[in-house]
This record gives sequence, C-alpha cells and structure tokens, in this order.
Amino acid sequence: MSVKHGLLALLERGPMYGYQLRAAFDSATGGTWPLNIGQVYTTLSRLERDDLVAALPENEGQRPYEITATGRAELKKWFASPVKRGDRPRDEVAIKLALAITTPGVDVAKVVMTQRTATMRTLQEYTRLKTEPGDLPWLLVLDAMIFLAEAELRWLDHCEASLVRYEPRPVPETTDVEVPR
Amino acid sequence: MTVLELRDVHRVHGSGETAVNALDGVSLMVEPGELVAVMGPSGSGKSTLLNLAGGLDSPTSGQVLVDGTSLQSLSRKQLAAWRRKRIGYVFQDLNLIASLTAAENVALPLDLDGVRKSRRQAEHALSEVDLDGYADRFPDEMSGGQQQRVAIARALIGERRLVLADEPTGALDSRTGETVLRLLRSKVDAGAAAVLVTHDARHAAWADRVVFLRDGVVVDVSQRDQPEELLSTP
Repeated sequence: MSVKHGLLALLERGPMYGYQLRAAFDSATGGTWPLNIGQVYTTLSRLERDDLVAALPENEGQRPYEITATGRAELKKWFASPVKRGDRPRDEVAIKLALAITTPGVDVAKVVMTQRTATMRTLQEYTRLKTEPGDLPWLLVLDAMIFLAEAELRWLDHCEASLVRYEPRPVPETTDVEVPR
Repeated sequence: MTVLELRDVHRVHGSGETAVNALDGVSLMVEPGELVAVMGPSGSGKSTLLNLAGGLDSPTSGQVLVDGTSLQSLSRKQLAAWRRKRIGYVFQDLNLIASLTAAENVALPLDLDGVRKSRRQAEHALSEVDLDGYADRFPDEMSGGQQQRVAIARALIGERRLVLADEPTGALDSRTGETVLRLLRSKVDAGAAAVLVTHDARHAAWADRVVFLRDGVVVDVSQRDQPEELLSTP
C-alpha cells in the first residue's frame, strides 16, 4: 500500500486539508503508521500533478483537497486489485536466520530465542490493546498484526525444531578462490 | 502476598534408567493480578507444572507454596479442602457433571464445604460469564462455548485466589476462545492470580508474562512492555 491510495480513500469521504488527512490516517491505522505532515503535503502535490485530486479555494488559511473522477477511478482499481506478496518488504528475520546458520560462530538457537521473546512481547502488547474499546476497522488492523506475529512465532518454533536435527553440510573449500592481492 | 510459588521444583517420573526429569529445577512466582502463560513443546513439562501448582501431584524435591503454605505440609484431607477453597481449575475436557445443572455444577465446590446459599453464588458466577438464565440447563443443552463458560464460573466461584487453566480454549472456535480468555483476564485484573498452559501464542499473549519450558527447564521469559512504548517505536 502507498500513502497515495490511503489519502485517496480518505478523500472519498469528502474534501479535507492536510492536517485533517493526517489525523484521519492516524485514526484509521490506530497510530501504527505515523505520517508526518510533510509526507502528506508531498503526496497531495503529486496527486494534484497527476490530476487525482484538486485543490479547492483556501478557507481560513487552510487549503482543502477533493478527489477527482480520475482519482476515483484509480481508487476503484486499487480496491479491486489484490496486494502482491512481492510488493511487501523482505522479511529481515528470515534472512537474518538464514545468515546466522551459515555464519561461523553464531549461536543460532540464541538468535531464534531472542527473536521469539521480542515477537512474543509485541504480541502481548497488541493483545493488551484489544482490551481497550475500539472501532471495528482498528480492531481488524490490530488482528492483522496479531496474526502476523503469531505466524512468525510458529515459524520460529519450527526453526528451532528443525535446528535440533540439523547437520551442516561440509563448508566448501575456500582455498580454490583466488584472492586478489 | 505471592499467590503461587515454586521453589526449585524437580519432578522425576519413573526411576533408574527409565527416569524422566519432567521438571528440572523450576522456580516461579505468581502475584495477585498476574496472569502467567506457560508455553513449550509436548513433553516440556507444562502440564506437570500445572498439576504440581494445583496439588494434584507432588514434587520429587523442592517446594510448592500457595498463599505462603507449602502444599506438601498438608494432609490429604487438608489438601483437598485447600484446593476446593483456593484453587480453581479449567481443563480442556470440561469435566462438567452431565447429571447436574449448570448452577449445580458451579456450586459443587461450595456444597462440598457445606457453604449455605451456594445457589445464589452460583447464579452470580454464571451471570459474570454472561450465562444469566442458564442456571437450570444441563450441560448437553448448551453449546461448547457455553459449557466452557460454566467450567470457568465453577473455577472462579468463592474466594479462589489461584486459577489454573490447561488449554482452556480447547476445541472452541477462535472468537469463543477469545471470550474465554477475556474472562480469565478480567478475573485476574480484579485481583486473582492465574497460570495458563497453552501451545497457542495468540492465547499466551493475554498473559503478563510468558514462560517457555524446554525439557523441564525454564529457557526464556517474555514480559509485557507498556503499550505507549511500543507505539512510539518507529
């Protein structure tokens, strides 16, 4: 997801100016994706350049923006398309663990345990937030984070069990590699 | 006062070459208002820990104290009375008695101690788990989730200070399971202490502290931070 589509979705509710958009974005994401006002204005100017939003006359020193027909079409397209896994950031934990296994001198079990403690703690915090009253959109965002953290914990358990049976393959001889002098 | 304390508890099953160290020197303290989850693979000692905490089993060495009293110092009769009054259990298999109504099941621990007006207390306990009007139903007239809530009402009735739960959400669907955990959480927030054994991280996350067991040893503990700290992290 991009900030661009987030702002378009918010403007579909009605015209808003920068600070209102930031507040609405914060509220929709439960503060888990903080935007600074600079990002909001930069995105708005790009959206305006691409004719996806239009600036309205200033009102008490604030300039509201509204979504255009092109913007509405773009938003519709966004809602109609799935998010591809490839669009998401790489999983640093998986890469770190893979490297830990192949790097000499690293206590892989300790790496797994450290990560698990941290992820469990995060899961505890998210769960605590669920005990506070909240609207459905926010609760579903929270559930998404909870399920992702849970999946990571299950995967870490799986890694730990696999490590018990793991016998490293012989390390390839490195003497064949010519080291430039 | 600490509600549950395990002091260097060992539990060996069997003897000689076939001896298994189910618990190998576990120390744990649970305070009032604290929910502790215990996680670990099968055979890691989770259920042994819970059985020892509830006085259903005795340690090979070490001590188990509930409200400062060592369970091993009590006679069998004293221990049974102690358990009824102070410790509530919720198990995966609900152990409800099929020929008793919901209210009778819930009131049973009180009735055994000759407590008067147990019916009124049972109805109150049922209403706390949102089962008003179900007092006279038999277990087979209720859904799995409702039966589990009866089991929880039974575990929480009276002046129980310690609740022990072994996979209490068992076969319940995820929403009903969450209701059960919310109940447990609110009881603990009201001052009880609880130990929850689970293999499900999403359930363990309702706890203040998560203890990881491996081969009878505590290998790791995860404690909750303050939510504010978490959300301020970029």
